[in-house]
Amino acid sequence: MSVRAVAVAAQDGEVPARHRNAYLLGLLPALVVLAAVTLAPALYLFVTSLTPASPTRPDSLFDFSDPLENYLSAWSDPRFGESVWIQVKLSVSTVVAQVLLGLGVALLLNRRSRLLTALRTVFLIPMVLPPIVAALIWKILYTPDVSPLHRALASSGMPVSSLITNPDTALWAIAVADTWQWFPFTMLIILAALQMVPREPIEAAQVDGASRFQILWHILLPAIRSSIVVAVLFRLIDSIKAFPLIYVLTSGGPGTATQVTNYYAFTQAFNYAYWGYASAIAVMLTAGVFVLSLAISRAADVRIDE
Amino acid sequence: MPVSTTDGETSAPGVNWADRLGDGALALALLFVCFPIVWLVQMSFRPNEDILGYRLLFIPTFQHYRALAESQFLRSFLNSVLSSGISTLIALIVGTPAAYVLARWRFRARSRIAMWILATRMAPQIAFTIPFFLAFRVIGLSDTVLGLALIYLTFNLALVIWMMRSFFESVPRTLEEAAWIDGCSLWGTFFRITLPLTAPGLAATAVLCFIFSWNDFFYALILTRTNAMTAPVAIVNFMQYEGWEWGKMAAGGTLVMLPVVIFTLLVRKWLISGLVSGSVKE
Repeated sequence: MSVRAVAVAAQDGEVPARHRNAYLLGLLPALVVLAAVTLAPALYLFVTSLTPASPTRPDSLFDFSDPLENYLSAWSDPRFGESVWIQVKLSVSTVVAQVLLGLGVALLLNRRSRLLTALRTVFLIPMVLPPIVAALIWKILYTPDVSPLHRALASSGMPVSSLITNPDTALWAIAVADTWQWFPFTMLIILAALQMVPREPIEAAQVDGASRFQILWHILLPAIRSSIVVAVLFRLIDSIKAFPLIYVLTSGGPGTATQVTNYYAFTQAFNYAYWGYASAIAVMLTAGVFVLSLAISRAADVRIDE
Repeated sequence: MPVSTTDGETSAPGVNWADRLGDGALALALLFVCFPIVWLVQMSFRPNEDILGYRLLFIPTFQHYRALAESQFLRSFLNSVLSSGISTLIALIVGTPAAYVLARWRFRARSRIAMWILATRMAPQIAFTIPFFLAFRVIGLSDTVLGLALIYLTFNLALVIWMMRSFFESVPRTLEEAAWIDGCSLWGTFFRITLPLTAPGLAATAVLCFIFSWNDFFYALILTRTNAMTAPVAIVNFMQYEGWEWGKMAAGGTLVMLPVVIFTLLVRKWLISGLVSGSVKE
């Protein structure tokens, strides 16, 4: 037994040997179920991605004659490349907007008062709304005949045509709706971090005549840096899953203007039943999320595991 | 911008206008957050003749809610309750003991398991959907409530393990050790002493599991047709197959968001740790 192992055992108050089996008994069911619902599907997805699986040919599920075909055709599929680019635009714009808006509101709420504590709860609501309800709300706001905003603009002599049917604005309309739903998330994480910042350096800086901006830039931002990185990571991961908003507002259109990679995989799998090809896209998307998350947490030196 | 953590009082001169500006910005943000939700709710009470009206004074009607009650919506609402409830129950039964073990037993693969749980949080849903879809066709679970409950375990189980572990870690070991000395078995101690002490945490975890399952749209859209259709999918079907009945859609949306908003107010303290389960050092 190494010195370190002894130290760990001593610090934990060593586990009586007779408990070992009892512990295993409690742990194993969860591991078995977790493996059944996550590992097994992941393996199956990978296997399917090596076949030309589709419902028209029943034997295609086990046809491994050309295993890399799906990956190669994704490489030469311009719509796949386009979907990745749309994804990048959507993810980057929403994450930046959510961090800036979240930071701003968190700074405004970071004062001790009863009223502001109550307000914090109100700011929580968009984030917990069922995404489909958020999508419905924005469908109403973006449909000119129904939207109070469109009609208010029209009656004041500045009619605006629908943003979600215009290929130039559709993606940004979705980005606004997504920011509405998720900036509370970045706000809460940043607010929690702000409340942990010690008061003394701030007071010292105030005495020395530092401006609010200087305090923000030199004291607060460095102190909450790792929390911002965590917020960015989680929003980035989830932005790649964005689905209900796109499904309800634009269905990936007009044309393919809002067809992100996730949505493209969905249409390939469930509109055209190219299961093999869609699996290959899903595998690449998953790998992309993992690599990106690792890269960001490494670069920012924030540990996201234990 | 009031960046200081003082109680609102500030000593620096010329700061008052900055505070005012901050309050104004906050009011704008509040309007941005609330207005869309309020608009949906008020729409659900407007009579059809005046569904697009924006005069504040109108006679509220329940006609849209009544129409929903007479439609298939009630059944999809029930499906939502059942699939979320069953999934939450299974996740708690299977996940709570595992969370306890991870909190108490330091073994080598412990951090591997934590990493695994985090990885399930990162994977896009489409990656789980395709294999589940193909498997359910064969084993006959497509379009069933049980099938949905199973796929919800992909996130619920990880959530239970993550949250309950931190609750168990906050229970002092000495209590358990005393029970062991009195001859109580490990799991006997767990059920008689540790679990009752973490009851509020267990309740919060259950509520979060329920909310996350309740909010699901993607899995239900793909894995159900008519039998097991959930409320969020039913709302989208109003849009696609029944023409644009805004009042009915608004009423459906209001009903689906109601339980979530109520539950959120109950568990807001734990909400963030649930949403970022897997992140941040302990």
